[in-house]
Amino acid sequence: MRSRLLRHAVWAVLLTMTAALPVACSSSSGGGDELSAGPVTLRFSWWGADDRHKRTQQVIDLFQKKHPNVTVRGEFKDWNSYWDSLATTVAANDAPDVIQMDELYLASYAQRGALLDLNTEKTHLKTGDFDPKALATGAIDAQQYGLPVGLGSYAMVANTDLLARYGIPLPDDNTWSWDDLKKVGEQVSKAGGGAVWGVQSPGFSDAGGLQIRARQAGGTLFDDKGKVAIAPEVLTRYFAYLLDLAHGGAAPPPSVTIEKAGGTLSQSAVATNATAFGFYWNTQLTALSAASGQKLKLLKLPGEAQAHAEYYKPSMFWSVSARSQHPAEAALLLDFLANDPDAAKIMLTDRGVPANRTIRTAIDGGLKPTDKAAADYLNRITVTDPPRVTPNGASTVETILKRHTEDVLFGRATPDKAAQAFIAELQADIDAAR
Amino acid sequence: MSTLDELRGLRRRGARSTKRDNKAAFWFLLPWFAGLVFITAGPIAASLGLGFTKYNLIQPPKFIGLGNFARIFGDERLHNALRVTFTYVLVSVPVQLACALGVAMLLDRGLRGLAFYRSAFYLPSLLGSSVAIAVLWRQIFGTEGLVNRVLGLVGISGHGWISDPDSALSTLIVLNVWTFGAPMIIFLAGLRQIPRVYYEAAAIDGAGKATRFRRITLPLLSPIIFFNLVLQIIHAFQSFTQAFVVSGGTGGPADSTMLYTLYLYQQGFARFDMGYASALAWSLLLIIAGITGLNFWASRFWVFYDD
Amino acid sequence: MTTETATPPATAVPPRARQRARRPSARGVLRTAGKHLGLLLLAVLMLYPVLWMVVSSLRPNDEIFRSPGLVLDHLRVQNYADGWTALASPFGHYLVNSAIVVLGCIVGNLVSCSMAAYAFARLEFTGKRWWFAVMLGTIMLPVHVIIVPQYILFSQLGWVNTFLPLIVPKVLATDAFFVFLMVQFIRGLPRELDEAARIDGCGHPRIFLRIILPLMKPALATTTIFTFIWTWNDFFSQLIYLTDPQMYTVPVALRSFVDATSTTSWGSLFAMSVLSVLPIFLAFLFGQRYLVRGIATTGGK
Repeated sequence: MRSRLLRHAVWAVLLTMTAALPVACSSSSGGGDELSAGPVTLRFSWWGADDRHKRTQQVIDLFQKKHPNVTVRGEFKDWNSYWDSLATTVAANDAPDVIQMDELYLASYAQRGALLDLNTEKTHLKTGDFDPKALATGAIDAQQYGLPVGLGSYAMVANTDLLARYGIPLPDDNTWSWDDLKKVGEQVSKAGGGAVWGVQSPGFSDAGGLQIRARQAGGTLFDDKGKVAIAPEVLTRYFAYLLDLAHGGAAPPPSVTIEKAGGTLSQSAVATNATAFGFYWNTQLTALSAASGQKLKLLKLPGEAQAHAEYYKPSMFWSVSARSQHPAEAALLLDFLANDPDAAKIMLTDRGVPANRTIRTAIDGGLKPTDKAAADYLNRITVTDPPRVTPNGASTVETILKRHTEDVLFGRATPDKAAQAFIAELQADIDAAR
Repeated sequence: MSTLDELRGLRRRGARSTKRDNKAAFWFLLPWFAGLVFITAGPIAASLGLGFTKYNLIQPPKFIGLGNFARIFGDERLHNALRVTFTYVLVSVPVQLACALGVAMLLDRGLRGLAFYRSAFYLPSLLGSSVAIAVLWRQIFGTEGLVNRVLGLVGISGHGWISDPDSALSTLIVLNVWTFGAPMIIFLAGLRQIPRVYYEAAAIDGAGKATRFRRITLPLLSPIIFFNLVLQIIHAFQSFTQAFVVSGGTGGPADSTMLYTLYLYQQGFARFDMGYASALAWSLLLIIAGITGLNFWASRFWVFYDD
Repeated sequence: MTTETATPPATAVPPRARQRARRPSARGVLRTAGKHLGLLLLAVLMLYPVLWMVVSSLRPNDEIFRSPGLVLDHLRVQNYADGWTALASPFGHYLVNSAIVVLGCIVGNLVSCSMAAYAFARLEFTGKRWWFAVMLGTIMLPVHVIIVPQYILFSQLGWVNTFLPLIVPKVLATDAFFVFLMVQFIRGLPRELDEAARIDGCGHPRIFLRIILPLMKPALATTTIFTFIWTWNDFFSQLIYLTDPQMYTVPVALRSFVDATSTTSWGSLFAMSVLSVLPIFLAFLFGQRYLVRGIATTGGK
């Protein structure tokens, strides 16, 4: 008797589950939803540390003052937790309305049907002040899934205090090559005597650097169809260069490199003044300078004099959930975040140098010197068309790269083998996501 | 003594009256039963079902038969993860339990400063999965960390323990052993439950310390030792947080700290392949269940119950 | 409900008193000293990292990673004030939230797990071995594949952003760890006690409340302490179920200090970490004496 009851109960639960699992992925109603007159609650989620949480809350308060019928509930997480939480809530059809999105994940959420095409909400979201090329970075197949927040470019961060201490002249970044970097790196390491090294080894959180290498060689990391397109020879050269840096002494020994790369930004080799050079997005200069306490300068990348590969990369995007109950209000909030000068004056460059050109000039007066330097860098470099967005399934690119770099540095794989394995693995992840 | 025998006889007779117990058992088990049906069973069954599908967390799951399970056999990174996990379990569980039991025995009898020691040894377990652990561990096993400084005093130049693929796993094992507080507390509670009269009687009979340990402590504590063994093994197989926190979620360097659950997590939450992750979870369940079953079978030979 | 009913039998002469009465020999003193030395060394080893954390909470941000030692160059108490106000609500708010969750979980675990344990340890019923295996089986699946279906279940019930998904499972004895723990403890108790009670005409509820519960105090204390600590530290499920910052608990709040992509206020993080360990430490300090009061000291037979 009881066991039959149990069986029924189990089936009942199972049925609820399976009914809930295949949450339909229909897109939203289409052209321009109406704003609601009644009270609306929006959920707005982002990742970051405590400083960003405070600033964003102030912006939210400002928005609510202007739109009293809209309540915005901010949800903040750290990077890792953010993606766990987003994956779960999206799966349960319970995603936040406004989502801070990263370039790595944009396609994977958009192509699984989780994000709204922002073109459908143009009445409330104005994008006139955005450079079309910048806007295009958030579009897949002409559908605008993300609104770029800030712009960044890959850069070399140089510690001029360290160089001055050892009497090593700052290299000329208008002409230098990858070999020059290696040479000056070795000089610094020699002078540093085992405590300070020349170059923080690339290969960790370095999808940007890999893209640059591919583009300098005339190729790209992913082609238009979303396939891995980097040539094996280019990748082999990339890994061989890393090995060269480590063996030649320009970079720290592998175990030091991995240790420094394993922590947060403020534990990295550049932030702890253990190396004189390192690769970063230009917008990270402020955070790095704060942690290092020494004078850091942005240099153009090596090899740029020979072939231009630089591009503007959005620091992050604003996206709206495809299943948002209030797409119009969500678009309104995005519009406020992207176009309101008062909001911009609170956030400043916390999320990168604003992609909106009008806003960029509006906040100019309130910038820190390091933020100014980051903004100036964007004007100094020669940029070409941005690469396609990281394809669906390839959001693992940085973890895959990191693992193969470690294999190479510890002599567990040759650059050649690592290059082939990297390409095969990344392609398999993309194929699996289809 | 004779009344005891009488009672034993009564118990044997009582054990046969099973009908009355069924009803009582139902009421005593009601909360657990409800939890099983309404909270645990659904998700567990769902995860089993998902193991046979391709499910990316958003689009409806697609049935692919045994595809995920077949993939397990060709997945070299998974095989590496299994190797890492088995090493981790086989080394850390015995060492941790030995530490826990040893210290618990030392702390059991009237010793001054008992409360202090007990707290001191338990404090690390309180930190648990705190984010601070990641930083701490770097501070101890890093290139310029405490361990290398101490080694430097003796003239040995160490290396970055966490960042070297050959030693990274050992630091995780140390981290696990370091939190031996939990099994220690359970041992302590178990030791307290052993009636003193047994020891007193044995002392009168002239039994030495070693004999008392072997003849009284070990058998009477065996259910608790068994409990700790079973649970710590299950727990170690599922170890996730520490590896996640120390390696920043990557299982690095070079997959050397890639525990099974970490790999599973990456499949589900980083690659959005929840189908494969579910298949992995159920395979792990089979492994753990097998080992636990073996444990229960073996317990007949060494665990002593008073019933 | 559990401890109130505990009426310990009359106390016999504490055996410890007898032990102390023995005259100390020179060898004994030496042995005790050695034991203390060893234990102290071990304690230092165990405590060093913890002390480092406390010291770090009092250091300026940029000094934390440069000094592995325990010497404070610059004292910075400001970290505590900064950390307290760093997030959307004062940190005390998260402490209170955690306390609510912990309290619910403790009560839930104590009541439901002890009941289930009694049934498994002392009652004969059909399919007992099978149900026991099922119970153990429920803790063998890694949480990460359960969490998504479970989240869907709870969100259908409208429980997301409440403490219910965290507490209700405990009230329904889903924490098989504790059921198993208590089963092992009860099985270690002499059967004669409840047989005697049964002869006196006690039913199972009375045997459970009057005989078993008082005798398994160490197990209940262990359950309390573990539930406290594990719930207090549990990060993943609290992260998933609590999305509104107003509902954040301590571990979730602590994580929002550390973001891999931006600057971290390490000083504040350590300060709040220390603050958040303090309640568990105090709970343990005061709770541990209940661990020692097993039948050994309350009499038994």
